[in-house]
Amino acid sequence: MTKRSQGFTRRRFLGSGAALGAGAGIGIGSFPMRLAVAAQPFKIGLFIALSGPASLFGPTQRACAELAAEEINQKGGILGRPIKLYPTDAGGAPAETTKSAVRLMLEDDVDLFIGSHDSATREALVATIKGKVPYIYTPVYEGGECAFNVYVIADTPPQQIHPSVAWMMKDHGAKSFYFIGDDYVWPRKSNEYARQVIAENGGKVVNEEYVPFGAPNKFEEVVTRIKAVKPDAVLITLVGADNVNFNRTFAGFGLDKDIARLSLLLEENTLHGIGADSSRNLYSCMSYFANAPGKANQEFKAAYFKKYGAKAPQLSIIGVDCYDGVSCAKALVEKAGGTNARRCMAASQGLVFESASGPWKMYNQHVDKTMYLALCKGTEFDIIKTFPDIKHGQTCRA
Amino acid sequence: MDPLVLTQAINVVYGVSTLAAVTLGLAVIFGLLGVLNIAHGEFVMIGAYAAFVAQWAGWPFLAAVPVTLLVCGLLGYVVERILIRPLYRRPFDTLVATWGLSLLLREAAKAIFGRGYHSLTIPVPGTLHFLGTEYPTYRLILIAISLTVVTGLVVWYSRSRTGTWIRAMIGNPELAQAQGISVRKLASATFVTGTCLAGLAGIMVAPLVPIEPYMGLDYVLRAFFVLVVGGLGSVLGLFSGAAVIGGVNSVISAVANATYGYFTMLVLAILVMWLRPRGIVAQR
Amino acid sequence: MLNGSLVVFLTVLLPFVVGRFWAYQLGLYGLYAAAAVGLGLCWGQAGFLPLGQALFFGFAAYLSGFAFIHFLDHPVIAVVMLPLAALAAGLLAYVIGILIFRRRGESGAYFSMITLALALLGFQVATSWNSVTGGFDGLKNIPGIPGLDDISSVYDLSAGVLLLMLALCRWLRHAPVGVLWRALAQNERRLLLFGFDTNRLKAVAFGVSGLMAGVAGAIYAPEQGIVTPELVGFGLSADLVIWTAIGGRGSLLGPVIGTLVVGSLSSQLRDSFVYWEVLMAIFFIVVVLAFPQGIVGLTAPLEPYFAARRRLREPITVSPRAAPERPALLAIDAATVTIGDVTLLDRLSLCFNRAGIYCVIGPNGAGKTSMFNLITGELDATAGKVMLDQVEVSGLEPHCITRRGLARKLQIPSIFPDLAITDNLAIALWSGRASGLALLDPRLRRWKSPMLDELCRRYPFLADAGRRAAALSHGERQILELAMALLTEPRVLLLDEPCAGLSPDETATLIDALRWAVGQLRGAIVIIIEHDMAVVKELAQRIYVLHNGGLLAEGDVAAIQASDKVRAVYVGAEK
Repeated sequence: MTKRSQGFTRRRFLGSGAALGAGAGIGIGSFPMRLAVAAQPFKIGLFIALSGPASLFGPTQRACAELAAEEINQKGGILGRPIKLYPTDAGGAPAETTKSAVRLMLEDDVDLFIGSHDSATREALVATIKGKVPYIYTPVYEGGECAFNVYVIADTPPQQIHPSVAWMMKDHGAKSFYFIGDDYVWPRKSNEYARQVIAENGGKVVNEEYVPFGAPNKFEEVVTRIKAVKPDAVLITLVGADNVNFNRTFAGFGLDKDIARLSLLLEENTLHGIGADSSRNLYSCMSYFANAPGKANQEFKAAYFKKYGAKAPQLSIIGVDCYDGVSCAKALVEKAGGTNARRCMAASQGLVFESASGPWKMYNQHVDKTMYLALCKGTEFDIIKTFPDIKHGQTCRA
Repeated sequence: MDPLVLTQAINVVYGVSTLAAVTLGLAVIFGLLGVLNIAHGEFVMIGAYAAFVAQWAGWPFLAAVPVTLLVCGLLGYVVERILIRPLYRRPFDTLVATWGLSLLLREAAKAIFGRGYHSLTIPVPGTLHFLGTEYPTYRLILIAISLTVVTGLVVWYSRSRTGTWIRAMIGNPELAQAQGISVRKLASATFVTGTCLAGLAGIMVAPLVPIEPYMGLDYVLRAFFVLVVGGLGSVLGLFSGAAVIGGVNSVISAVANATYGYFTMLVLAILVMWLRPRGIVAQR
Repeated sequence: MLNGSLVVFLTVLLPFVVGRFWAYQLGLYGLYAAAAVGLGLCWGQAGFLPLGQALFFGFAAYLSGFAFIHFLDHPVIAVVMLPLAALAAGLLAYVIGILIFRRRGESGAYFSMITLALALLGFQVATSWNSVTGGFDGLKNIPGIPGLDDISSVYDLSAGVLLLMLALCRWLRHAPVGVLWRALAQNERRLLLFGFDTNRLKAVAFGVSGLMAGVAGAIYAPEQGIVTPELVGFGLSADLVIWTAIGGRGSLLGPVIGTLVVGSLSSQLRDSFVYWEVLMAIFFIVVVLAFPQGIVGLTAPLEPYFAARRRLREPITVSPRAAPERPALLAIDAATVTIGDVTLLDRLSLCFNRAGIYCVIGPNGAGKTSMFNLITGELDATAGKVMLDQVEVSGLEPHCITRRGLARKLQIPSIFPDLAITDNLAIALWSGRASGLALLDPRLRRWKSPMLDELCRRYPFLADAGRRAAALSHGERQILELAMALLTEPRVLLLDEPCAGLSPDETATLIDALRWAVGQLRGAIVIIIEHDMAVVKELAQRIYVLHNGGLLAEGDVAAIQASDKVRAVYVGAEK
């Protein structure tokens, strides 16, 4: 309690300023005031990776968010106000990103934040924004974010792991698992959850291993160890270049024939890096794949390629999440009748909005969604199983 | 021998020899010319992209070699002329200048090839069975090539006349100039050799790693540590440095885990630099 | 003084001019700038480049983060912990510095690489040690400093810290220790021969830079509320180096300007301009190639207008060093020095047991300079020993030996070229007279001594305050170095060819001055290596002839001139 009250005074200056700005925009104030501000843009601060290793996703993130904004603006915007996006770099150190957040709040008076970046940056942003402006967090993450006025539409471990691991054990006959991940919170939390699921289904974890995050890793030794243990499946929580390196080494040593791999952050770009000769027996489970079935995705893709042409940035879950984020913002703000924090929190409970892959339902600040299990075929994903309406498993109390 | 132990042993040899190969270009530029070339990793990147271009165009894998020599050679020549030559006497300033260069090269790669990962089909796929174990064929070839190239270059350097000239130039530039050695041309040629070697190493590793604009970062720091730990200017130093940096990392990663491997590598590097100031092989 | 108040005034005004966000942004960069100031001190003053400076910034940030989280309910205690966290970072830097410099002596690429490796190690520790550091996500929810935790105080606090660090740095640059750092970067051996522990001086510079980074880091934690491993790692370390280089490492404000300009420029550009990194890269390259002094170099033409008019302060006269009770006694006892398979000195025994002027002659390669190197401890005796006042000194560090009242003039004039002549002389005056904390007292720069007065009378150029030593002619450098050696008022004075390259007139003046000075240094032993027999005849009370690393002959001038052995060697050498 002390903690909270202490933290509250920090940047009080910022907090009050932003709250006033947000309140004045859509407040229940007098009618003429509403008219005066009707044409004012609805400003969204969009935190995406424009620099650093994750900047791979930047172009898609931006393109998807802009597509969503354009679609919404054509239908009259949010509460009659056209969306204006402020794409902002979140690929550097958290302090750089929080600095940008302060700028967006103080100088640009943004109405809402959408963020597609790592958890370290999210926590820093949550501490800076202090719930004064709604903040929608979008990419795959480890769960547990319940801060006031923060809305998470990301895939959680229960959503990714529960259906996929259970399927691999029941339908694929996998009994023993080997965990390999980068050493930070998302892999550790995911593996913690996976252990439970595997235990519940009568399997065992033969080894849990991490490589230093941010170091230039090589995987010959790890792969040799896996080869000696001969697990039925490997659960991979490596990200980015580490994920590519591991899978290429794994296949290079010839292990791809007999051992299945399930990677928890394997999207189109990473698969492209892994390449066709290394992707045999490799699975991924997420809420979005570019070639996921369903009418919503077909329509989304049609609009996307119509707007950006054949040379459009590669679609992947990190990127499309920004489309979903903007879509969520519209639904949330219109249901709450503004960006008042308490109203938004109340509105989020039971909120339904259209994502790129169909309607999602929000409660406890997270969303239930349809999950897909894909098997890699060359550098394409082949959706082999659809799990509808998977619970997010988070227990935040709104 | 236990096949597992044997495989891990080959992993160590593989780690050391490829590390020596990607360091070789920097050994020439930093070890001989004393230029702190932070953009070394980006020249490795250029080689990797050349291999990618060759495959994309449907050429044979080895077609990447002339492409790399051309690009790295030209680029090395121009860079030496414009950036490095005015700064030979200000080594720490070359650090900032080549830092800028590495940013430029990375941005150029982004502009040409996009930000995403590219991968190559391994030119020699499959594994080789021997002594009760199997090991990826391409990696075995890499070990052989690395050892040959590094040893070959060392022998050439110690025997050839150019090697003598370079040693004379490093020992005493004024005297070398007076002896009729064109120091400028020789320095330029040495720098170009270094960038080309970096590029060739890039071709070698290209089929194994994700090819992307940031890949150079993985190589540059490690290469500096190899050289400083091993001792500058000697081939034995290069190998002993690679053995300490790459070998220790591999061995500890094999017997414990990668995190300990990385820690041990850094700690050992610090200890060697501290206790054996002239490099691990130097006589005191 | 005027400059100082101008800077303070501008700093106070700035937030009103640039607005709230910019004030906040400058607040954040102000902390980085404080760390860059320390880096500038190491790199621009003492001449070595730490590549892992973020280690100290991050270390202090984690410590102060722990303190604030741990003493949540007692914020006052946490505030007290702030300076402790900064001091811990400074101490860490000092210890690392002592360990590296003592072991290695030189301070080139190896020092840089070790500090870089330490920063990489620090980053991995911070990332992997989840239970303590919070891992990759870092330490979160660090409460702010009570009363200073709103956004406008971010700027005030940072500006305050930065000004404090600048004041500290400015003071150090003006103090004797600053002069010694600059001297060290130019000519470490010369400083060592004046009896200064150069390794310790470097470690102190590194410690101060660690302290500055530490102060900034300690403030950062409560100000930002989060501490992540990036703060310890390579990225921030490299940024600090780049900012310092771009701004100008040699000047006081350069690192600050570099940090604020590059930092805020890139943060402005990165969201709005896709090719911002290209722009930054070209900017770095252009600055390095065209403005070696960094951005502040651009203001060089303006400097005469802004240069503080320093009041001429009254000089402080230090009394001559107390004459020793007994005359000095120097003996070399059967010393052999071999390096590899070359024997430089071969069972050389010499005894200087009376005050006076001794000359050492001998053909080239006889071992004359090696003998001096042996005496000053720069060469280790393979066998035998050197005794000074009946105490064995061989095996001691050079600066410990010279501190016992030994001064040496080197064969090729060895001075501090980029320092003013007066600073060159001041360093000599401090030698043996000032050490430790006294070196922090700027008043020492006004020291003079009766001997200095007399030397300036004989050689007026020595009193030219505005001139750098690099501007001197060869002959003047010889005089300057001799003057420096004399000013230490040594008990043993080693002169290696003091008259080389001088005209006959200059030589005559020098002999006169030398004779006068030796008269002042009562009880001193003066040993001169000289080829010019005219000078030898003029000065020497006793002559030693070395040959092949051993003693060939000794005696007065007449005896040596009469010696067949000596003549044979010289004739033989000329064949």
